[in-house]
Amino acid sequence: MKLSGSKGVFLWGVTGFCVLMLSLPTVIVVGASFTSGDIIAFPPQGFSLRWYSELWQLASFKAAFWRSLYVSLICTVIAIPVGTLAAIALSRYRLRARTALQVILLLPFTIPLVVSGLSMMMMFGEVRILGQLWPVGLALCVINLPFMIWSVAASVNAMDPELENAAASCGAPPVQAFFTVTLPAVTPGVITGALLMFILAFNEFLVSLFLTDSRTVTLPVEIYNSIRSVITPDLAAVSVVYIVIALVAVALLDWLVGLDIFLKSK
Amino acid sequence: MAGAVQKARWALLDAVEMLARIVWPAPLRGALGWAFLAPALILVGILVIGLGQMLETSLHELNLATYRLGDAYTLANYATALERPVTWRVLARTLGGAGIVTLVTLLLAFPYAYLLVRTGSAWARKFLLVALFLPFFIGQVVRAYGWLIILGREGLLNSALKAVGLPAQDFLFAYPTVLFGLVQYMLPFAVLLIIPALSAIGEEVELASESLGARWPSTFRHVVLPMAAPGLIGASVVVFTLTLTDFAMPEILGGGTQDFFASAIYDSFFQISNAGLGAALSILLTLIGSVIVAAVFMMAGTGTLGFRGGRR
Amino acid sequence: MTFSRRTALKGGAALGATLAMPSILRAQDKPSELIVRAWGGAWGDALKSGVADPFTEKTGIPVRLDFTEDNEIKPKIWAAVDQGRVPPIHVNWDTTTNATISALRGVTVDLSDLPNLEGLLPSAKPVGLEGWPLVNTYAYVYVCAYRPEAFPDGAPESWTVMLDPKFKGRVALYDDGIGFNPIAVIAGGGTFEDIPDNMEPGYEFYRKLKANEPLLGEDPDFTSWFQNSEIDLACTISVNARAAKQSGIDVAWTVPKEGCKVDTDGLWVPKGLPANEEQAAKDFVNFALSEEAQKAWCGALGLPPVRPGIEPPADLVGDPSYPTRPEDFEKLVSVPSPVLVENQPIWFAKFNEIFQG
Repeated sequence: MKLSGSKGVFLWGVTGFCVLMLSLPTVIVVGASFTSGDIIAFPPQGFSLRWYSELWQLASFKAAFWRSLYVSLICTVIAIPVGTLAAIALSRYRLRARTALQVILLLPFTIPLVVSGLSMMMMFGEVRILGQLWPVGLALCVINLPFMIWSVAASVNAMDPELENAAASCGAPPVQAFFTVTLPAVTPGVITGALLMFILAFNEFLVSLFLTDSRTVTLPVEIYNSIRSVITPDLAAVSVVYIVIALVAVALLDWLVGLDIFLKSK
Repeated sequence: MAGAVQKARWALLDAVEMLARIVWPAPLRGALGWAFLAPALILVGILVIGLGQMLETSLHELNLATYRLGDAYTLANYATALERPVTWRVLARTLGGAGIVTLVTLLLAFPYAYLLVRTGSAWARKFLLVALFLPFFIGQVVRAYGWLIILGREGLLNSALKAVGLPAQDFLFAYPTVLFGLVQYMLPFAVLLIIPALSAIGEEVELASESLGARWPSTFRHVVLPMAAPGLIGASVVVFTLTLTDFAMPEILGGGTQDFFASAIYDSFFQISNAGLGAALSILLTLIGSVIVAAVFMMAGTGTLGFRGGRR
Repeated sequence: MTFSRRTALKGGAALGATLAMPSILRAQDKPSELIVRAWGGAWGDALKSGVADPFTEKTGIPVRLDFTEDNEIKPKIWAAVDQGRVPPIHVNWDTTTNATISALRGVTVDLSDLPNLEGLLPSAKPVGLEGWPLVNTYAYVYVCAYRPEAFPDGAPESWTVMLDPKFKGRVALYDDGIGFNPIAVIAGGGTFEDIPDNMEPGYEFYRKLKANEPLLGEDPDFTSWFQNSEIDLACTISVNARAAKQSGIDVAWTVPKEGCKVDTDGLWVPKGLPANEEQAAKDFVNFALSEEAQKAWCGALGLPPVRPGIEPPADLVGDPSYPTRPEDFEKLVSVPSPVLVENQPIWFAKFNEIFQG
């Protein structure tokens, strides 16, 4: 399609502004992390890896980093089967009360995060699992579950339903049809969803704030607590760790399923 | 060797098949969908139970002598919350903010998504996708932190102003700053939710419109926008609810005086240790959010938030 | 050193029992770490160098500072104690008012048997509570901190300068008004006797101040706001202003004619810890009250300790933020803990109502 003339100027103008707005904080944080001064500033004063080496010596950030990885892994491991099955069920089985089901499965989105976080804090406390790490992963899975279901549902909807029927009419029993036809077809959606779940859990801050304490603090909460205490450039260095992980995730997504998967219509 | 593996695989599959038939006999086939859904419903059930507990908590009043909630059931917390003018003002700020952020975000996200879908250059497409995903994957706290560096009194923007001889400005710690941070945070969500609706519109439809003499702005208004409506609805619902309930941006960029409703809940629970009042505010916010979302769904359908591509 | 002193004071029997224990058991007895909740920035640095590090050196127990906000940790500890879970921290470094509230809720361990309680100033003892559910460790003043550059005619004489339109958007208070609520009453035309029954002059002062768009924050915010010249004037604890000054920023502080609020912070140990961890936590509190720790910790903070006879840091001799003599205290406003416990939540709510409106 022709994207030139006033239309092209308009589109590229707005999009350029968006790209600038989206990337500026990232660029600035990366730049500021290389300062050799004591205060966060941009342009940075001099160039050094000083804050990276200080960060490396900070046991608290390292521990928080590993905890975040663990929590995100738990979240993803739960989300993959739960979300995949739910998406297949929603798209492939004629269920009564479909609308009600959609509303229920959207609850993680319509209930404010601050409310979800606080109520899970009270509830996990009651059942004596607050203070452990795995419930944090579980909670992050609950609040982000719609993302997993969407990703898989997109793949299921893109698949031709006749494929399964064909397998069945060729004599494939249901389990076989499921594993050899349905699952491979939804794999791109599962991979996308899994990566989304992992990254969202790795970044989630508010619910984690309520569910963690100093023994189980995860990276986003550690960063938030540091922002509230004193802002030194080592924070910028932590943020760069995040940016690198985000880069890896985007590259991984592109390599495994291709970023273009998001451009397909559902 | 490969043949043996293949054989073993089929044998395994057959065994699973047998097992499945025993565990889940054919007459129950119809219920299979529900069995698939059960785990997800159980997980979401955690939230429902939590919400129930929140409701229960909201019905007890704090005793200031012991700092414990009383045993008696009362609506006092709701009365307190609704009587205080500050509740309404913070609510107005939050709702207004959510409205403005939704509008601005959609205005910015639509051209972005359109360009992403329609551009012929694979390079541009990849660039735009990466620019979108990176911040999406970086999280709110880190991004807010970036804005602190840029917009501070001694920050990048003020250095630039000083360099061209203009006086420094206070950008941080004001309502517009918070809204700006929120728009930036919500943009990737909105673009990702608009894309599917846009890519469902065939290029030929637009070409047809333009060949009939419509200029691009009117093609946009009369053809593309209506056809992309499900995506716009889905995106606005997500952006609106996420903004309505956001905590970090007002907290970090607001300088303490731009609290949103989530901060009021937080303050009740933590600053004044009144879980009952905090729970009442939580229930109010959940109600307000749910009513608005339900109204949108009833009037306009679930948009791209439906698990089956909206209007199909 | 401390270990043997403590056990010796507790009596030979305890010492004997400790020594008689097989060494492997004693090693197991030692907690792998102590978690002490603290405020960040200059505050955390002072606790680390003045108390935590020397404590680790003496006992071999590593100390980790947890910068969770004091308000956030409070309900978490309460819930843990109520539900029989191990509380998230071993020692809470807390405002006396918050600590008193936790003591009222019955979640604090009695500290009466700490040997170092002996010889402390009377202000160490909590008011209106049985025994020692907490111990106050130093006093501090919510001074009027300012950038001299913005005040060419010298230090501000009255808090009412906050209302000057010249300082629009450049005045800062704590985000719940802590430290300023009683002062606002006096600055707003009331008297000390009006507190707590007639706070209206204070609220009126806040309503006028709101037009001047003050910033609201927590301890470290003040330091960084001064550093980044976001503000000209703040009601903040002298520690934050001094930290900014020590990092090379031009900041000074004063006690205006209406006075400044003086208050105390304390330490307490939550109930529900395993016995050995509770003991180590009490040892930590005890050590924090020793002359050595009080000198190093409070010296780094620049605050008058509860152990008498410790000289102020050189830069604070005669400073209004370091009250020692009775006439120093005359300029300051002290509200008794029980009044604060009962009224502070109301003041916070009202403050919030005015400034969030």
